[in-house]
Amino acid sequence: MATEKLDLLILKTLALASLHGYGIGQRIEQLSGGVFRVTLGALYPALQRLEKDGLIDAEWKASDNNRRARYYRLTAAGRRRLAAEMEDWERVSAAVTRILKAT
Amino acid sequence: MWEKLRRRWDDLWHRDRLDREAREELEHHLEMEVARRVRAGADADEARRQARIDLGDVEEVREHLREGRTGFWLESLLKDLSYALRMLRKRPVFTTVCLVTIALGVGASTALFAVVDAVSLRPLPLPEPSTLVKVYDTNSSIGVERTGVATGNLVDWRRRAEGFRGIAGYYTMGRTLTSGGESDVVLTSQVTEDFFPLMGVSAALGRTFTPEETAASLFNTAAAPVGADPVVVLSHRLWEKRFGADPGVVGRTLTLERRSFRVVGVMPSGFAVPGPDVQLFIPWSLAGEEPRDQHYLSAVARIAAGTTVAQAEADLRTVAQALGREHPETNQGWSAELVPLQQDVVGDSGRTLFVLLAAVVLVLLVACANVALLSLARALERAHEASVRLALGATRPRLLRQFLMESLVLCITGGVLGALLAMAAVAILDRTQPSVPRLDEVTLGLRALLFALGATATATLISGLPSAWRWARAEATPDLAGTPARVVGRGEGRAWRDGLVIAQIAMAVVLLVGASLLVRSYQRLRAVDPGFDPRGVLVAPIFLDMEAYGRGGKSRTYYATLIQRLEALPGVVSAGGATALPASPLGPDFERPVWPEEIPNDPRVRRPAWVRMVTPNYFRTLGMRVVKGRGFDPRDGPQSPSVVILGESMARRLWPEGNAVGRRLVIDYSTSGTYPYDVVGVVNDVRFGGPRTEPRHEIYLAHAQRPYLVMNVAVRSSGDPRYLVPAVRRVLKELDPAKPPHGIQTLDDLLGATVSRDRSAMLVLSAFASVTVLLSLLGIHGILSHRVRERTREIGIRMALGADHHRLRRWIAGQAVKLTLIGIAVGSALAAASARAVSGLLFGVSLTDPAAALAVACLPLIALVVSLHPAWRATRIDAAEVLRSG
Repeated sequence: MATEKLDLLILKTLALASLHGYGIGQRIEQLSGGVFRVTLGALYPALQRLEKDGLIDAEWKASDNNRRARYYRLTAAGRRRLAAEMEDWERVSAAVTRILKAT
Repeated sequence: MWEKLRRRWDDLWHRDRLDREAREELEHHLEMEVARRVRAGADADEARRQARIDLGDVEEVREHLREGRTGFWLESLLKDLSYALRMLRKRPVFTTVCLVTIALGVGASTALFAVVDAVSLRPLPLPEPSTLVKVYDTNSSIGVERTGVATGNLVDWRRRAEGFRGIAGYYTMGRTLTSGGESDVVLTSQVTEDFFPLMGVSAALGRTFTPEETAASLFNTAAAPVGADPVVVLSHRLWEKRFGADPGVVGRTLTLERRSFRVVGVMPSGFAVPGPDVQLFIPWSLAGEEPRDQHYLSAVARIAAGTTVAQAEADLRTVAQALGREHPETNQGWSAELVPLQQDVVGDSGRTLFVLLAAVVLVLLVACANVALLSLARALERAHEASVRLALGATRPRLLRQFLMESLVLCITGGVLGALLAMAAVAILDRTQPSVPRLDEVTLGLRALLFALGATATATLISGLPSAWRWARAEATPDLAGTPARVVGRGEGRAWRDGLVIAQIAMAVVLLVGASLLVRSYQRLRAVDPGFDPRGVLVAPIFLDMEAYGRGGKSRTYYATLIQRLEALPGVVSAGGATALPASPLGPDFERPVWPEEIPNDPRVRRPAWVRMVTPNYFRTLGMRVVKGRGFDPRDGPQSPSVVILGESMARRLWPEGNAVGRRLVIDYSTSGTYPYDVVGVVNDVRFGGPRTEPRHEIYLAHAQRPYLVMNVAVRSSGDPRYLVPAVRRVLKELDPAKPPHGIQTLDDLLGATVSRDRSAMLVLSAFASVTVLLSLLGIHGILSHRVRERTREIGIRMALGADHHRLRRWIAGQAVKLTLIGIAVGSALAAASARAVSGLLFGVSLTDPAAALAVACLPLIALVVSLHPAWRATRIDAAEVLRSG
């Protein structure tokens, strides 16, 4: 999976609720109907990158099963970026779809 | 924004915590996944194994995250550093050679830079140094350049010349100082009242002179000033040496030439006007009627703000011209010249030092090229290692950085060692070397350290880049099974190596040419006949004082007795005295207008002549020849007719027909009148200022007829004159215990001092040239050996196929000669371009001197000899073994 696409999916997932890393992976897998499988090596460097860019934020909290986990949430900048990326993605994918459907 | 900064801060300083947290997070992730699988009914171990396969390895990701953090570069840099240190430790010989080379190069160039900086580059340690100028009198109509200023003109100059803030005068001579029961001769300067204010330096202790103190002092050319309550200012050095840096010295008295002087102040350390050797200052009033034609005053001026040196000089010349019209009998033709004080102090030594600095920088470059050659060879040996590491996933910039780190470590260590060496060199520097001014100001300051830094950076670049370049271009697809011979044998980096060796030889040629020219020049200098024979002669300056010897011909008696006693010493051939000795800076040395008596006193036929008072055996003692007539003898006493002996060129100038003996010569003593003298002889010319100078127009008078207080005595010994020193000291002490003997030395040493700068420049440049030649030969040797090694296989196969040793040797020798010849071509062009820099240092040698060409022509021959060893190694290659291992 290309990194930009993964970034977009992470931002989208976090727009709904703040989640820990495992939660993000699970959500992406579920929502994609099992098409995308997210490995540690793809997910965590992406999170580090997004955090560094100030698009997401993280803090340690107790998780459902009462263990410590790092929860990520979207920042204001992240929200703006998500909106921009989604618009972009829709335009591009619509265009690609049109080309692919053309006969 | 704040958050971002905090995160970076955490990244940098809480690396371990972040690392731990990353692991915790990753493991949490994994466990959740395992738990999910177990919930779905999998076996716990199997679930763990499967999750690992699906999600990837925790450690690997952790590593990845670590690299993504700010400050990772620092961590990897430290890693590179420890790797570099490990690699360098593994090759102690290589490391030592490189370190020593760089340390010597950086050390030598930094030390020399510190000297050049102190002598030529740094402004004089005085306020507004650029406005200070030295003032000289010149008279081109009679061929006199840059002589002392006439005291009589100074008052007019001060009043009439615009463009000056002031013009001060001083006169320096040795005087006997007695304090605390100790006597010795110290250099003293009598200075006009505006001297200290004009320099802008006040006393460190006490004060300088008041106008009243100056006005009270009268001046007499040959003796101490007289007047009520005389005062002195001490130099910092004398204060330390003779008064133990006593803060209560102001108000105490000391004895100068038998008179008591009161100390009023001490100058700060580092105040070195007129010179660093001046120990005492005496006030000097020039208010009275002063002669306009006795050019002995040293003058220093400050030009006004907004005025250039040229404008001020033009102003002064206008005044001098006006004075020439007003006082034609004394001032006709006299003009003035200004020289910036710094230039006047530094003189020619600046140029010599710059040439040496340039030379040492060349040595540094050649040394760095050698280090570069060494590391290039290593880079090629390690090409295999580079390939393997690239294949294992190292990035190219990382590899390059790693390699540069090695040369950086080498060069920084070398640079630090070099700076320490320079410090040691500056600490043991001989600051008393009279041929170079301002040596006492040499320190290893910030500028020298910056220079060392620059030199080190240059060394790093030159020595590291070629091999780094080669290293970074290593093949990513290594022949992992390959033998080293095959990995090396690609002939890459060859252009670099050839280029480096050619550059080395070129620089060696430049230095070789420079050095051989200086050697030739020095030989010529030493071969010049100075007009006297300095071997076996001991000299001593003697300053008699006005108080004890000023009246009644007492100085005549003193010197007559002295010469008599000296001649009575065993081992003494003859003894004589003169007011000023050739090659000696001490003693009254002045010129007076003279003319043949048969020509009336017309300003246009006046000729200036340097006048010396000598004792009868002076010519004999110095080994001079009486060309015509006779020398002085005891008959020439105060009652007999006044006689004069002319130098050859003076005689020729006044009486071109060659019939000088028997004529009469008139000498103009200015305020004390004109006197005729009988010409009784002609002696050969001497090069008074040493072999570099032309003979002057000189005339000699009998000391008995015109006694002087200050004389230099010379003693000719039948053996080594140094054995006479104790006896001469004893004679001087017996004659007048208040006159401590001082400054006794051989005439040979005095004469040698006039060419000591040429000598040091020659020796230093020769040493540099030898080192460079040696280094570049090592370079050739290295490159040929390398070439043989990288072609081992090829050579082995050729030999197996029956190639003969002879052709092999010729091939290798040919390589050596080819590189050398290209280097010589480049070097000769460079030498021709830089020849102007040395030409100013040369004496009687043209830039096309065959010696230089001869020295350069030897290079290919030596290169041939050097090539013998690698050639021999090549012929020893065992063809069978090469074929087996290939």
